[in-house]
Amino acid sequence: MENAAIFGWALLWILFWGALGGVVTPRIYARKDLEISQASFGGAVIGAALGPFSLVPLWIASPKITGRLIGIAIAIVIGIFVASFALADPDNLCVANGGFVISQLTNGIVIGIIYGLMALGLTLIFSILGVVSFAHGEFYMIGGMVTYFMSAVWLPGVSPLVAILASCIVTFVIGYIFERIFLRPMGSGEIERPTEYAILVTFGLAFFLQYFTQALTSAVPVKAQRFFPFPRVELPAESGTLLKMTPGNVTIFDAISVPNPRFTAAVLALIMLAALLWFLYRTWVGKALRAVSQDRQAAAVTGINPNSMNTLAFSMGAMLAGLSGASLVQVFSWLPQVGIPAAARSFVIIVLGGMGSLPGAFLGGLIVGLVEAAGTGCIPDATRAAAYIPAYSMVILTLVLLLKPTGLFGREL
Amino acid sequence: MNRKRTLFWSILALTILALVLTACAPQAETVGEAEPAAEEAAAAPTEAPAEESSDDMSMEPIKIGALAPLSAPGAVVGGEAMRDAMLIAADVLNARGGIMGRPVEVIIVDTEGLPERGTAVVERLINQDGVVGIGGGYHSSVGVAAKEVARDNGIPIVFAETWNDTITSVQYDEIFRIAPLSSEVSAVDVNFIQWLRDENGMKLDKVVILTENTDYGIPAAENTTALLDGAGIAAVTFSVDIGTQDFAGIVERVKAESPDMIVILATGEASYNFTQQAADAGIGPQDVPTMCNQVSLVSDAFWVNVPDGNNCFVRRIGLPQKLYNDVAQELVAEYSDRTGKDDIESYAMASYDSIMLIAQAIEDSGSTDPGDIIDALENINHMGALGPITFPINRSNTPEQAGVDPKWWHQFPDPAITIVQYQEAGQDAVDTAVVYPDVYQTDPPVIVGQE
Repeated sequence: MENAAIFGWALLWILFWGALGGVVTPRIYARKDLEISQASFGGAVIGAALGPFSLVPLWIASPKITGRLIGIAIAIVIGIFVASFALADPDNLCVANGGFVISQLTNGIVIGIIYGLMALGLTLIFSILGVVSFAHGEFYMIGGMVTYFMSAVWLPGVSPLVAILASCIVTFVIGYIFERIFLRPMGSGEIERPTEYAILVTFGLAFFLQYFTQALTSAVPVKAQRFFPFPRVELPAESGTLLKMTPGNVTIFDAISVPNPRFTAAVLALIMLAALLWFLYRTWVGKALRAVSQDRQAAAVTGINPNSMNTLAFSMGAMLAGLSGASLVQVFSWLPQVGIPAAARSFVIIVLGGMGSLPGAFLGGLIVGLVEAAGTGCIPDATRAAAYIPAYSMVILTLVLLLKPTGLFGREL
Repeated sequence: MNRKRTLFWSILALTILALVLTACAPQAETVGEAEPAAEEAAAAPTEAPAEESSDDMSMEPIKIGALAPLSAPGAVVGGEAMRDAMLIAADVLNARGGIMGRPVEVIIVDTEGLPERGTAVVERLINQDGVVGIGGGYHSSVGVAAKEVARDNGIPIVFAETWNDTITSVQYDEIFRIAPLSSEVSAVDVNFIQWLRDENGMKLDKVVILTENTDYGIPAAENTTALLDGAGIAAVTFSVDIGTQDFAGIVERVKAESPDMIVILATGEASYNFTQQAADAGIGPQDVPTMCNQVSLVSDAFWVNVPDGNNCFVRRIGLPQKLYNDVAQELVAEYSDRTGKDDIESYAMASYDSIMLIAQAIEDSGSTDPGDIIDALENINHMGALGPITFPINRSNTPEQAGVDPKWWHQFPDPAITIVQYQEAGQDAVDTAVVYPDVYQTDPPVIVGQE
């Protein structure tokens, strides 16, 4: 970094004024008997954006802190961050190479969509059952394993869609059986300490699924072939500058590159997301699920059986994790332990998006995907950039817990 | 009533689980502990029992510990190969009548490739299982941590596949190694790269190194970078944690560097993930000359995980198969029977030798006292699958006296290193072309990406 001081001072500005705004603004709003639910987060981002030039007017005029105001402030903070980084390190690939930036953004969005799909399952379970499933990563792992074995071992040559369908069925059924046997007693009041019970029993399921799979398949990594390889295309053929497709990759304008497995995984995830939204918002059962998530007792009064919704939610959540794994088994080498980091990332995403919020989970997935891509691509020290990957989501988690513990779309606790 | 029903279903589920695990997991049975092959041993003649030995194989077994990464984030592919070879060693020893007439029990533990786990399992082997020596070992970070436990307890370890120089350069009496030194391997790598440039006309101005943040990866990358620099070749290093899955961002950065060659020092599944993701992005072994990690020699797993891995150069420790000695050929035959593979991985071969070395040291010393075993190891001349193994730099011929670097302490000096190349997709490791050095060359290298 050529001018590290510029970036350092900008960060210091953001942190100092952000912290001051976050601490002082709620006190001023409280003293004026104003709404303070957004005062801490709003004050922090508004302070981080323009420092005293925005905080003083905010404290004097004390307007209602709307989502729009926060959005503008966040955009300014991101602008200051990016501008100072560009000034500090003008030769960085993230500054000097537009194609690289777009490729990184595309990769971040693509992987973020899949993160979002996985986190949707976790947040669906939490919103209905009030349980954080620690076995979510193992359903993800099983989804990938079933897809691999279906397409490569048991029925070689079978359509990947059939293999994915099989993984959906298997994870749904495991989720169904588990919920009926181990989680149903929570709903009927048979368990004295349901929160602790849920943690322990889902942890138990996680260990069981992981080691059971290892016993059956061994711990040697496996990987499915590309589901739908691209055809070989080069437009225009003589220069290849507009579009170049190989079975494993598409390159646009000789600069933006998207690997085939990620592209197909993201498309599958988007299709499933659309289907899930249709199910939740257009079908009676989906509406019943949402009703139970909003008010369990009121839903029961209208004739909805909350216990059935519990079973359905857990099974669907498991299936969504399995589907994420099924999409990604053509991207990554697959092991029985592959679900552990994926589950940790999902927890971060649902906290970021707001526990129980479906749009929040999806948006959270995108944000985590983009932050990881930006961190990996832009950190100047090549020996550190990828090593910090696990830390990026933890930084996000820390910031969210500090600034907005309810997450982006979470309900007040 | 409901609680009873839940309890019933829980017990039923657990019972089914136990039955299924018992039925479906023969590997899990053999991973933890190798029972002495008493029946074979009874039938086999006993060779050269020591004075106080007895032919009674029902005696208390001599326990030898064995380290291997058998679950992630360790290099499981490598660990399973090592486990299979060390189990063969146990069976061979027992078939020969054991050691000093006593059966041999090789207790294999899973290091997971993690130093803290390695420390814990070595403690367990020594203080709970009562092993008299330990073989195996794959990850350098595990070796670096485990050597301290061995020293504290005075138990010898013969490391099979831990390359970090400091493992031997600290000059602990208890630590022996038959794997090559990391710095020596780096030298071979760079000699090969120079040979590609100077003898084969390959354009080679910049090399990208992908390494892992471990006691193996970091020094190996530093050594390689320094040697490349000396050869007038620039190097850019990217490092990742072991077990890293998603390399999308790093692959884009590597691509932006426009390297003339990529060297992968990350081990295990991370090396598979990087190689294939690089191939998806158009900078794989078929596009840019790539030196893949040695775990790529497990060809079945390699081709499943890296279908676009053709043209990978792979460093191979040990001689080409055509130069195998009798011990190696017998080992390969048995290994092939058990695993279905055509050849044996170098680290599996070294693991086998590490167990056999300890066994011979016990025989030579006629004792299971660790101090006597260490004395015997220092003076050993063992004909192993890797060739004749000795440790010429030792307490009676210290590095200072011999005028060599301390890294040669208790170090097997002659592990052969060749560079092989997959020159056809789906090729078996045994059929790979030996491209370097000239003396072993079977085919010229296929150099891709040259315009």
